[in-house]
Amino acid sequence: MDRRGLWKLVLALLAFGSANANDSDAPATHTVTIANMKFEPAELIVKRGERVIWINKDLVAHTATATTFDSSNIGPNASWTLVTLKSGEQTYVCSLHPTIKARLIVR
Amino acid sequence: MNKWVTFLVSALAVGVATTSGASETLSDAQIAAIVVTANQVDVDAGELAVTKAEAAPVRKFAELMIADHSGVNKSATELVTKLRVTPQPSATSDSLKKGGEENLVALKKLRGGAFDRAYVEHEVIYHQAVLDALDRTLIPNAKNAELKALMVKVRPAFVAHLEHAKQLQDSLGKSGG
Repeated sequence: MDRRGLWKLVLALLAFGSANANDSDAPATHTVTIANMKFEPAELIVKRGERVIWINKDLVAHTATATTFDSSNIGPNASWTLVTLKSGEQTYVCSLHPTIKARLIVR
Repeated sequence: MNKWVTFLVSALAVGVATTSGASETLSDAQIAAIVVTANQVDVDAGELAVTKAEAAPVRKFAELMIADHSGVNKSATELVTKLRVTPQPSATSDSLKKGGEENLVALKKLRGGAFDRAYVEHEVIYHQAVLDALDRTLIPNAKNAELKALMVKVRPAFVAHLEHAKQLQDSLGKSGG
């Protein structure tokens, strides 16, 4: 490898390192599974700016609805993602099936 | 308890009696027909209630019944198509169908709050009766694992609907229905 080739390799390694650093800095994504007419986990604690994705594994549509967010209908095998913008604790429900409830805590 | 409800409970009890008898058990094709008919009966009642219910929460519940039970039937139909099972009528599915038709006739005579109470009362008893049938007859008798799994997966929706209907019943008041 000549000097120019070596520099290219060094630059490539540096670029790889910085890409990795960016990945670890990216906000985490938390998953809530909707199955058997329940949100799982029933209580989720996340940091502000992190994402929450709701995945519906039931045969019927559901929503994740609170005062500050509303997914509208999430069909079977569909999902919906929320980027948490404000800190706070709230109970959310499926607006279609009001007996299904869970809590989202943003710190 | 109205006439249709008595009919429904006895219709689903036919399935229970059949399975406990030594002579006959339900086949998967018959179970599939019972599942499809049970869902369709509630879709039909929901479609009537969407047009006739007075209270907004009752209309919303009826819309949910249409959406959820249509969704379940879509999955059931996809499964039986995949399994190449042709749903086969039985005394239970015939009784369910007839009972559903009689319920619609009875409900069509009612208006306003009386309609809402009668519809919701029927929904409470219907979902309880279907849950009992799932637990005692349909799930234990299903031979195909995917058919059994579908009913196990559907069961929590019936539980949620039952609780939802009971809450509506409490909010409407049980007297006068």
